[in-house]
Amino acid sequence: MRLLDSLVPLVVAVALTTPQIVSAHHSFAAEFDSSKVVTLTGSVTKVEWQNPHTFFYLDVKDDSGSVTNWSLELGSPNGLMRDGWTRTTLKIGDVVTVEGSQARTGKPIANARVVTLKATGQRLFAASSQTNP
Amino acid sequence: MRPIRLMIATVALVLAAMPVSAQWLRYPTAGIPRTADGKPDLLAPPPKTADGHIDITGLWRPAAALVADIAARLPPGSVPFQPWAEELYKQRRANNSKDDPTTNCIVGGVPRSDLVPYPFKILQVPGAVVILYEAVHSYRQIFTDGRALPDDPNPAWFGYSVGRWTNDAFVVESTGFNDNVWIDNNGKPATSALRVTERFRRQDFGHMDVEIMIDDPKAYTRPWTVTLPLALVPDSELLEYICNENNKYFEIIGK
Repeated sequence: MRLLDSLVPLVVAVALTTPQIVSAHHSFAAEFDSSKVVTLTGSVTKVEWQNPHTFFYLDVKDDSGSVTNWSLELGSPNGLMRDGWTRTTLKIGDVVTVEGSQARTGKPIANARVVTLKATGQRLFAASSQTNP
Repeated sequence: MRPIRLMIATVALVLAAMPVSAQWLRYPTAGIPRTADGKPDLLAPPPKTADGHIDITGLWRPAAALVADIAARLPPGSVPFQPWAEELYKQRRANNSKDDPTTNCIVGGVPRSDLVPYPFKILQVPGAVVILYEAVHSYRQIFTDGRALPDDPNPAWFGYSVGRWTNDAFVVESTGFNDNVWIDNNGKPATSALRVTERFRRQDFGHMDVEIMIDDPKAYTRPWTVTLPLALVPDSELLEYICNENNKYFEIIGK
């Protein structure tokens, strides 16, 4: 059992870096515009680890120094857990870079495809519904 | 390695493993045949029940991406739409399925809940086969006690289902649907005239096909059939999925 336990973190590390097709309950395209690609860097202010989609919020400073709080959609907690995430993978205060697609409305809301943790450089795939529209 | 370092490393590994082992996402399923190294033997023969019927019990997931377009594996133009149904389908495609009932956390129904990329658990109990769908935390009862389908039922999202065993399949007939059901994410319509026949055939321990026949003379000019492959999900479990917990769909589309 000791050996099995020691393998689990490895399995998690591999799963966290392997994108999987997940969780499209409904059309991605009604909400987000895949041609409005955004790359955002900031610190996490809040995490909502809930169905049907996990959300986290990011304070992003623009060139003029003003800060916008972005809302970022991930896959469902269920899909993320099966990909190796836990509810503490993203924590308040973490500095991250998000690659994603902005909401059609133009509001500071986006669907995150990849989240990179600044502290470790780890790229986390987000169980995005965009992979299975 | 010094004992203290070994101890710290072991504690670190166990702590790292805890969030995973604290759920049942990796928990050995009883009754699965295994190879010599302990892995599930998914190619082992399919199980039978004590009374000799096909046993389709288990945790399953769709093994093909048909939830967007249930006809994705059929030749183009195979879906025999009635003209109004084709027109409605085109409208739904043009507006990106924005009025899909599942955006409001309503269940997919039959057969759509079988297509959604979340696992579901099939249980065989006396008088019924029960499907517990993780998606939207929903369930279906398929009665096997010999009852007939109801004559004039209150229309329902999952309809009403009865099942029977044939030599090689578990056959489910369902009727009594409402007029609001979507057959897939792209929005193929269905009406209260819909009758669905699902034939579950388990090839081996880890693989099953569901042949799905859509018979809705109001929406389609003839019955049409698709086959959905399923894969067993060994050594895992369902998770809770309460869709109303934090559904931001309408906020995101600006309604």
